[in-house]
Amino acid sequence: MTELNCESVCMAAMALADGYEPEISRDQIEAHLANCPACREEVGQLRSLATLLGKQQRRQSVESIWPAIKTRLPQAREQGKSSTMFPFIFLGVLLAGYKLVELAPDRDFGLLFKLAPIIFIVAAFSLLKQNPFEINSELKLEGE
Amino acid sequence: MDDSSAIQRCRSGDKEAFRHLVESYQAEAIGHAISILGNTEDALDAVQEAFIDAYQALPRFDPARRFYPWFYIILRHRCYKLAAGRKKREMSSTDEPVMLELTTSNRPEETMSLEQALLELKDEDRELITLRHLDGLSYEELAERLDVPMGTIMSRLHNARKRLREKLTRHSFTNSPGVKQ
Repeated sequence: MTELNCESVCMAAMALADGYEPEISRDQIEAHLANCPACREEVGQLRSLATLLGKQQRRQSVESIWPAIKTRLPQAREQGKSSTMFPFIFLGVLLAGYKLVELAPDRDFGLLFKLAPIIFIVAAFSLLKQNPFEINSELKLEGE
Repeated sequence: MDDSSAIQRCRSGDKEAFRHLVESYQAEAIGHAISILGNTEDALDAVQEAFIDAYQALPRFDPARRFYPWFYIILRHRCYKLAAGRKKREMSSTDEPVMLELTTSNRPEETMSLEQALLELKDEDRELITLRHLDGLSYEELAERLDVPMGTIMSRLHNARKRLREKLTRHSFTNSPGVKQ
């Protein structure tokens, strides 16, 4: 149950005006507005602003971007594949190289060396600005 | 040619079919990119890059979906990437609006003040307000486009409108009874 305070009532009143059914009922909103002049004024101003915005039209662009795009299409798909895969191929080669060095007998490279794979992976994802544990629209898009 | 047959042909390697998609949606995409980035030059760059990204991603496109909502996710990713990379916004000229149309039914000074106030908002606020009020998207559609719950849309939109009202009252457009404080 949403707490009934001035802020939540104003928010709900605007949502209702937008055609969305908020958790606070219409009766509760109207009852609060009837007894709260500050909220009545707040909602009145925001409704006027919504009306003003609703009268506006988005400016239509007449630019044609096809000629610029057309010249880049022949390479686009191949580039897309290689540029997407390259960091991961590089990381794979780096980790394979690490494993080969690690297999060398009678060598102790210390703690920092043991932590190197984690450092490589964290550095790679930081450089790519990707969080492998986060589910977001970008990852969803890649998976489609 | 409809979108699905154009997409099908693109996937088979027909690059000319991609022209149909670009020409069908470029105006809408540029308008949306201007709403996020606040200027036409950056918007054109972002839209071009987004169409290239979309072309590369078409083999993974789910034909059950509509093209533009799918493309919009790519476009806004490109826009925010561009916005994050630039040091400071190049503000558009105040002589002519870039986002809003000057129409005979609206007072030009109202439209100009509103445009300037919108440009002073954060990119996310401007995107949300314009999608809601200029495109008329419902909360459900906004939640799908922005990948957030409808409750979040409600609170973000409320806060964004309050910030816009503050910007408007600071601007010259203080005569409107609706936005006076």
